[in-house]
Amino acid sequence: MKNLFVAVTVMLALSLSGCAKKQVAGPTEMQQPTAAEQQVKKAPEKITEEKVAKVETKELPSKVEEISGMFEDILFDFDRYDIREDAKPVLKKVSDHLIKNTAQGILIEGHCDERGTSEYNLGLGDRRAKATRDYLVSLGVPSSRIEMISYGKEKPFCNEHTEECWAKNRRSHFVIMKGKM
Amino acid sequence: MKKRSALQGTKCRVVVFLFSLLSVHFSSFSDLDAKVYIDINSPAFRKLPIAVSDFSGTFGRDIPEVIIDDLDFTGLFLCLDRSAFIEAPSNPFQQRNWSAIGAEAVVKGMVRNDRNLVVVVSLYDVIEGRELFRKEYQSEPSLLRPLAHTIANDIYMQLTGQKGIFRTRIAYVVRKSGSDELMMGDWDGMRTYRMGVKGRVMLGPRWAKDGSKLLYSSERNRQWGIYLLDFGKMSERNVFISKGTNIAGDLFPNPDEFVMSSSKEGNQNIYTFKISSSQLKRLTASRGIDVTPSISPDGSLIAFVSDRDGSPQIFTMSREGFDTKRITFSGSYNTSPAWSPKGDRIAFSGRVGGKNQIFTMNPDGSLMTQLTDKGNNEDPSFSPDGRCITFSSDRDGEKAVYIMRANGEAQKRITPKGIKAFAPRWSPN
Repeated sequence: MKNLFVAVTVMLALSLSGCAKKQVAGPTEMQQPTAAEQQVKKAPEKITEEKVAKVETKELPSKVEEISGMFEDILFDFDRYDIREDAKPVLKKVSDHLIKNTAQGILIEGHCDERGTSEYNLGLGDRRAKATRDYLVSLGVPSSRIEMISYGKEKPFCNEHTEECWAKNRRSHFVIMKGKM
Repeated sequence: MKKRSALQGTKCRVVVFLFSLLSVHFSSFSDLDAKVYIDINSPAFRKLPIAVSDFSGTFGRDIPEVIIDDLDFTGLFLCLDRSAFIEAPSNPFQQRNWSAIGAEAVVKGMVRNDRNLVVVVSLYDVIEGRELFRKEYQSEPSLLRPLAHTIANDIYMQLTGQKGIFRTRIAYVVRKSGSDELMMGDWDGMRTYRMGVKGRVMLGPRWAKDGSKLLYSSERNRQWGIYLLDFGKMSERNVFISKGTNIAGDLFPNPDEFVMSSSKEGNQNIYTFKISSSQLKRLTASRGIDVTPSISPDGSLIAFVSDRDGSPQIFTMSREGFDTKRITFSGSYNTSPAWSPKGDRIAFSGRVGGKNQIFTMNPDGSLMTQLTDKGNNEDPSFSPDGRCITFSSDRDGEKAVYIMRANGEAQKRITPKGIKAFAPRWSPN
């Protein structure tokens, strides 16, 4: 027992001495730098910056003439992409026009309201454009004359933060394409 | 009999006590040779009181102000008010002048402006009354802020042992009527400039790990393409284009390859694409929308969003597309995962009460923490040390770029009012 007690005391002493050492040490060297050493400076650091990359995007002119506004937008319910009853008359007009004007094609833009995040909404816009296309195909329009693009919530029709505006933004928008598609 | 077992009990307890002493003893060996000024890994109960004195010479206050803002934002320092300082900037350091006001570290400097800025800075330990370092910095006068940020980085390294983020940048998108364009600025929102890259719509730029390239998506001429901006070559290159909506995701540690999502085959799916071989590989095949892939720091895992279970939630999978696991289960809308460069947390945007808020969670979905509660907050991105997050918020009306500490403290806007800015991404260096 006595030996054990001594052993414990020794261990305790060793541990505590270890802790004491920790506080005294400096952040770099263990010894204090002399005044002379302090005078020695490292080589000065020169701050530079690479010249900024500046690129001007050249947008190539479109070879296709676009006509917007010939047909009104069709609207969708929140988070949904199924074709509503009130959209069907417009879609009938679109398909009638395309069936009659065989040299024209159509671009369907799928859009969302501002709620939710950009990338997921691009997926939802894709779904709305696709549902619209599928409906036009079911009315007899050849799919080769239909192009689709999603803009998600990036190109809203209106900018107010109201239910009324949001409803108008959840849409498929039609653009007639004349010329090479 | 009883006496013997009592003795054994005591022996046992003593052994356990000795063992625990030993473990404490051995674990303390690792920092035995370094004074711990700020232990960056322990919860910050107490900020280190630091005095950044005005520098003597020209621009005497400009450089210290940048340093103070930098150190203050980390949440680790208590920057003492200069009105309390006793010692004049040009007088030599005297311990008692600073211990009297409670400072534990002091920064003093001297500026000369002959065509170039020449700055000599010293950092002092007040308690030990000695200089920790003295260093000289030079730059053109127009680079005063980067010079000050470099000084702040050196102070931060000396006192925490960690690399500072004060020379990092944030890239983001600015929206004007008719077009979007890419902007770059310092992490604190200063020195912003246009990169000249634009499109009818642009989405979140993604950095290469060495900071030399940006990958982004842009809609131009009715087509969604993925573009790579190379700072070294000063060029923009279209690296991927196809029918459908193509959205750039992160670059892998080897920047020849990146993840992306595309609806070219119908629904949005996640793909990897190798630039040099134009090799496209599909990773997901669900009937849902799979978007926003984010790569883990070692490149082995991909976090992404999928609504395959009915609502948008966050999943992880291996970089080959296997072992898909759902990791968010609370809330009906969890999107925009962004992996911390430290690998220990994922930030994301989740819908709460009809609005989007920034959360962080562990990569297995546990320990979800909400960080924002005002307005709609989206597009989170971590700083390279994982201690700060940049994000977009419309809390002030228009969408703007904000920064905050990764625990939600110190939220502040870094883009000016009146411009619509979003999709920020913190540089890796």
